[in-house]
Amino acid sequence: MQATETVKLLLGIGEPLVGRLLTYDALGMRFREVRLRRDPKCPLCGTSPTIKDLTIHLNGGGGACETSTDSHGETVAAGVAPKAGG
Amino acid sequence: MKTLKEMLAEARQIVPEEGPTEVAKRVAAGEKLAVIDVRDPDEFRDGHLEVATNISRGFLEFRVGTTVSDPSTPIVLYCQTGLRSMLAAKALKDLGYATVINLQGGYQKWVQSGLPTVREVSLTTDQIQRYSRHFLLSQVGDKGQRKLLRSKVLLIGAGGLGSPTALYLAAAGVGTLGLMDGDVVDITNLQRQVLHTTADIGKPKVESGTRTLKALNPDVNVIPLPTRITVDNVMDIIKDYDLVVDGSDNFETRYLVNDACYLAGKTNVHGSIFQFEGMATVFAPGQGPCYRCLYPTPPPPGLVPS
Repeated sequence: MQATETVKLLLGIGEPLVGRLLTYDALGMRFREVRLRRDPKCPLCGTSPTIKDLTIHLNGGGGACETSTDSHGETVAAGVAPKAGG
Repeated sequence: MKTLKEMLAEARQIVPEEGPTEVAKRVAAGEKLAVIDVRDPDEFRDGHLEVATNISRGFLEFRVGTTVSDPSTPIVLYCQTGLRSMLAAKALKDLGYATVINLQGGYQKWVQSGLPTVREVSLTTDQIQRYSRHFLLSQVGDKGQRKLLRSKVLLIGAGGLGSPTALYLAAAGVGTLGLMDGDVVDITNLQRQVLHTTADIGKPKVESGTRTLKALNPDVNVIPLPTRITVDNVMDIIKDYDLVVDGSDNFETRYLVNDACYLAGKTNVHGSIFQFEGMATVFAPGQGPCYRCLYPTPPPPGLVPS
């Protein structure tokens, strides 16, 4: 899936998964699509971003991904839990 | 009898002209636009606009329909200096194409303006055979294949997600693949990480990955990056690539890749997986959300096993 999306993006063809999250449940053999919207309060790509460089990642550790903003947009992913594995 | 000068003047009455910078802006903005190079094939091969399709002036009226199916699609025509294409543009207007623009000063002025061009590299006999099934797809074709061969993709992680993605991209003929992973192959990796074999246990994943990819397609330039992505190396590494594929297995890396790609304006093809469930999406800066829009904060440590 990632390969197909990559080839489409490189060629500028079709509809890439921009703003859409595709989930795959192998046991149920079901695909689900969730619309994603930009979060205007996003600390990175929102209207008044607080992350303007990578200093938040200095010193490593789990804290690198934390942001000081309040807990906004937690339902954006419509209940799709993040997956850690690669 | 009309003189050439009169014919050009007549064409200019109905065909608007735009300079290289204006056309470049339209292309960069992703406007739905057909760019046609009306020069002869040998001139086209020596260098042309990347987005252009070559239809020589003599064949234009016959073949334009295959490139532009909707007559309302704006068309930009160009030749070497902008004269041939001016007359060609008038012919297309006469055929009923609504918006036909002539690139003022032609290819020559485009080059002088310092705008990017591409040269047609001829495909070898082997390549023509290898990618023959791509040539049958109108959306890929010869032009698309050349584009893939010129493309550079960075794969972050040569594990469960990176392995199949790398194999498919190498098979498809993506010209440069950066393969980044700091790990060595472990026996527990082998039931899913198909880039590596039993004989590779203990070797760096980028080493076995490079060997597998080169064996599959020797056209591909594989760049092994035997290191973890960190805040210190990420910007310097991603700047050389057109696109990033995130196949990492932890949240720290994912947030780092997300932030770096956004700041560098690189599209990030994201994938993640846990047990029987997986998900995929594309984070394209300026066009859609990023990983932080989706997951503003990482889950507490220990909640989501990797």
